[in-house]
Amino acid sequence: MEYIRKKISLENYTIRSIPKSILITNAEGKTIIDESNPKYFYGKIPDYRVDSNGDFILNSFGQKILNTINIDLYITQDIDDMGLFTDKSFVPSNATLPFPPTNFNSFSYGRLAGAPLNFYLTGSNTLTGNTDDGYLNQVRSYRVDTNGNAIYVPFLNTSDDSKNLFNGVIGESLNKTIYKIGSNPIEVSQYQQGAISEINSGVEFTTYKKKYTKAIDEYGKNISFFKTEFKSNSGGWDINNESLSAIIKKEEYLGVVFKPEVKSVVFINRGVADIFERHAILSELKTTNDIDTNRGGKVRI
Amino acid sequence: MATGNYGTIRPADVSVEDVEILYSYTPNRELITSVELLSLDPAEVLIPVTTPNNTNEILGGLYTLKLPTSVFGSKGFYSIIIRPKEIRTTIQDCGVLIDNQDVKGLAFDMNQIPTELQNRFENGNLVGYRIEYLKEVTGTGQDKIQNLFRIITSNNRALPITQNQGNDNASQAYTFNDNSTTVFCTLTPSSAPSIKPNAVPFIGNPLQGVIITNTFFNPVMLEIEMVEYDDESLAYALYSNQTKSLDDGIYTIYNFGNQIYKQYNLFEVKDQFTGKPLYEVREQKFTIDPTKDFDDITNF
Repeated sequence: MEYIRKKISLENYTIRSIPKSILITNAEGKTIIDESNPKYFYGKIPDYRVDSNGDFILNSFGQKILNTINIDLYITQDIDDMGLFTDKSFVPSNATLPFPPTNFNSFSYGRLAGAPLNFYLTGSNTLTGNTDDGYLNQVRSYRVDTNGNAIYVPFLNTSDDSKNLFNGVIGESLNKTIYKIGSNPIEVSQYQQGAISEINSGVEFTTYKKKYTKAIDEYGKNISFFKTEFKSNSGGWDINNESLSAIIKKEEYLGVVFKPEVKSVVFINRGVADIFERHAILSELKTTNDIDTNRGGKVRI
Repeated sequence: MATGNYGTIRPADVSVEDVEILYSYTPNRELITSVELLSLDPAEVLIPVTTPNNTNEILGGLYTLKLPTSVFGSKGFYSIIIRPKEIRTTIQDCGVLIDNQDVKGLAFDMNQIPTELQNRFENGNLVGYRIEYLKEVTGTGQDKIQNLFRIITSNNRALPITQNQGNDNASQAYTFNDNSTTVFCTLTPSSAPSIKPNAVPFIGNPLQGVIITNTFFNPVMLEIEMVEYDDESLAYALYSNQTKSLDDGIYTIYNFGNQIYKQYNLFEVKDQFTGKPLYEVREQKFTIDPTKDFDDITNF
């Protein structure tokens, strides 16, 4: 409940006018106020509005207007709910939209009533760009030739998780080196055997050996490096990886309030003040969440 | 499953028919006696503001509280509570839907509801209303069950049907029927948690008194202190026009509209034997001398 305090002066509603019509002369010949006159309101707060002549102010219907103390209020309605939600399959209404609205973007529109699943499907696309492969260390070679260039073994998987990921060179020539990061090993194997012509998973990098890219570093200095192109194929959203479901709230969990979890992007760099600091930090790690909280010598608050 | 919360604060566009206004008055804060609450008719004192271009459309949020000076014209403290209107009735029955025995609810008899409030009990109109419960045995102290309320999630006219459960303990179930005068309301929480399936939340008992309240707006309480003086009236004494009649010693203070605000008699108290002045006195004059009108005095 909202609590409002106000202080209002009654003087604002007190009549201070003395109409000439209520003045009389007494026996001593002195002008006084006829306090019995019905137009006498001096010092009073009348129940109905009166004008400076002591007459009641009438509305358009000829009725007296109630004298009121007016206070403006702003009344609101809070809608708060908190609970556990769960996805539930549902049968959409037959009255689905025949086509998406103009410039429909499912990411900005969110759920649109009557929109069938195909509104939310997007086709595959390819992301391309240029980069400096000097920052990419997933693909390495410990052997170099007489010119100091790395000697790669095509299709050698250098990933730490070789069962699920493929990092390595898939093509090597005099002009360029083609390698993949984060590809599907099965797909790479199929590509190696010639079963497929392109590996769609992961990011493909092509570093040219005779082409350079000129750039300016953060200090304004001209730099150059081997030109490296990358591309990544996105499979898009289709009926295999997207579905529409209703989000329902479980009634029995209504009113379940969770301990507030404060998340912030403010970090305090506590530094390493002395040789015991790292041990002091370690002593504060009580749970696995604390490891995340204290990552990098920083305390997240 | 996901955890989620949602909420907003919207300007209330509640009808004054769904509002209840109570007030109390105390001349000062030292009053020992208990506070007596009186009612005001919201239709007369609470005026919703309409949108600038459409006088038939409520603006929402902004209301003007018009307090009659006949009631609020005394110096002191007025506490005004503006809260959602309460509907008091009794539970006719507690039952389930005949086609969905898991759905428990309360049945109310529309004929017990005051005529002007019966439209609130039409299908779907009670959704979001809050139900609070009165004790079934009164006279044992507090008549209201404190800290207990339920929210209505649906209401529909329904017909009670006696169903045979295979023994003598026949219980009633309800089927939706718009010609009935019985209203079946579902409440939340009314289902048992999965961790304890038998712990069905209390939703009421037949013939138990309940208070049904809308949740169309957040209650508001105003404490209005009526005072005789404020900055403006104090400024009269400092900055407004004043006259001092040298003939009769009447000292007049005018408000900024040159109306007589206060009058005082100025005189000296002298020793009756020696005639030596003892005091200079300024005494408020309660019978106003109308000849001290500022415009009359200065119009020469």
